[in-house]
Amino acid sequence: MKKFLRTPIVLTLLLAGLAFSIVATVSIGSSELPLANAYGILVDKLFNGGKRIAEGLYPNSQYQVIWNIRLPRVIFGMLCGAGLSVCGAAMQSLVLNPIADPYVLGISSGASAGAAFALLVPLPLIGGSNQTMLFAMFGALLASAVVYFMARAGGGGQIRPVTLLLSGTAVNAVMSAITSLLVFLAKSPESITAVYNWQMGSIAAAQWTTLTFPLIAVIIGTVIFTLNGTRFNQLMMGDEDAMSMGLNVPLFRTTMFIVSSVVVASLVSVTGIIGFVGLVIPHIVRLITGTSDNKRVIPFSAILGAIYLIWADAAARGLFGRAELPLGIITAFVGAPFFLYLMARKKYGGNGR
Amino acid sequence: MKICFDHIDACIGGNRILTDVSVHAQHGRMTGIIGPNGCGKSTLLKTLFGIVKTDSGTITLDGKPISEMKRSEVSSLVGYVGQDIPCVFDFSVRSVTEMALYGRKGLSRRKRDSIVNESLASVGLLDLAERSILTLSGGERKLVFIARALAQGVETIVLDEPTNHLDIRHQLFIMDYLKKSGKTILIVLHDLRLAAYYCDEVFLLNKGHSYASGAPCDTLTTENIRNVFGIHGYAGNAAFGSDFMIDFNSEITL
Repeated sequence: MKKFLRTPIVLTLLLAGLAFSIVATVSIGSSELPLANAYGILVDKLFNGGKRIAEGLYPNSQYQVIWNIRLPRVIFGMLCGAGLSVCGAAMQSLVLNPIADPYVLGISSGASAGAAFALLVPLPLIGGSNQTMLFAMFGALLASAVVYFMARAGGGGQIRPVTLLLSGTAVNAVMSAITSLLVFLAKSPESITAVYNWQMGSIAAAQWTTLTFPLIAVIIGTVIFTLNGTRFNQLMMGDEDAMSMGLNVPLFRTTMFIVSSVVVASLVSVTGIIGFVGLVIPHIVRLITGTSDNKRVIPFSAILGAIYLIWADAAARGLFGRAELPLGIITAFVGAPFFLYLMARKKYGGNGR
Repeated sequence: MKICFDHIDACIGGNRILTDVSVHAQHGRMTGIIGPNGCGKSTLLKTLFGIVKTDSGTITLDGKPISEMKRSEVSSLVGYVGQDIPCVFDFSVRSVTEMALYGRKGLSRRKRDSIVNESLASVGLLDLAERSILTLSGGERKLVFIARALAQGVETIVLDEPTNHLDIRHQLFIMDYLKKSGKTILIVLHDLRLAAYYCDEVFLLNKGHSYASGAPCDTLTTENIRNVFGIHGYAGNAAFGSDFMIDFNSEITL
């Protein structure tokens, strides 16, 4: 009975936690704002057509801060957390390895290098943010392909943690070097700041207008991953086993790597590198739900990832007063020790698969 | 179901592994594939599921070429128990067994559960159904994958050295179970004695070629064992019984 009830209870708690986190985090920032007002403004705007706001019940400045600055940022934080987490869960199945995530595998760096290329090397292509996005996607795909095939070649057809990590590290290094080189070659100081921000990771740039593509990508990606949950499960038993159960492994893996790359690129091209989210969240979900079943791990990771990232971002803007900390620093401080802890666990160590 | 591999050629990474290999598994019988390490036994099984691609030759299930079948169709007819299945993630025994049914559309929840329960019960694992696969011993794990193959390929199962790493009790339990199941079994075995004792027919492979085939007593002869494995042994009917036996002496020249 307990086991039977576990899923609905966890789901309810997660959703409640998400709702509370949204309200709580929009009240956090450089200008202090009471929680009750944040709640009132959000509820009024969403369910009451903003009548009370129009009546002047809340100061207009508060409304502006909440609705036009913090809410898009919180929503974007949710998208980043959800998107990076589901990609982490998917990649862990795709490479049959619990230490995979978009950052560790160098895919975020690939997207970042692509975006830097688009920004710093003027190309008369589509121009603007579309071009950035397109190049970020290309960089992400390139990085995932290189990491995957390097890891496979190094492991004699099988992917072992060591070869996977080494190729991820190598691709990370190369992609970061490319990004830095582009910065060095760039003459304009603005571009340099922009690229620097990517390397650190921040969602401060979020506005209503930048939300559209990431929103679509994250929702579609999460739905695709969730619907393929059973196939991810089969893949978790290894390629041969999955094939004997009727899964077309090469096709499935390629498709899902492309979906992951699109999701990661849609986020990273705006935020820069936010590390370890996709590594930490699916593990915590597996711990609290007591299963590795991807039909649950993937959607739950989306919600928990969203909660985690908006709190991390709230910490980024609240910890040091007016000076904002890059979000990537916070996720690294949380995620890297967790990563080391996973590495230290025997069953995920060097010899196992 | 009758499984026929005819004149199979296959390469892995540019190296020729199988050359003109033919193996036939008759309906309702236990057929063994025997041979030294690296002779291509496992590779042959893998060609059935497209894990390794064949360069030439045909594979048929009851006369129908698998090249004309969908992957899901093959996997709904034949269950596979691989050699070592990586267990990295935390799944319950029940979840692993259920994976066999993912591809099957239109199964009710009740039907699904009853297939899973029956399969687990038949290998004596029902008590462990909610346990995590990570906490099981090697032998128990192997039984889980056999249960899954039972749930998946109802009448025909292909196994790649299922007795590896198991103690003698588990080895005999698995072989006994398979033998008595009445299913069509195609099994790669390392242990010649198990093969001699349990298989109705064996196919002896050597260096990627078919070497000999037939009833164990006709195939696993002293001469064939010496030629293929390079060891001196004695094969024949045991002095104290009518069972075919194989004995080895220890002077091995590699």
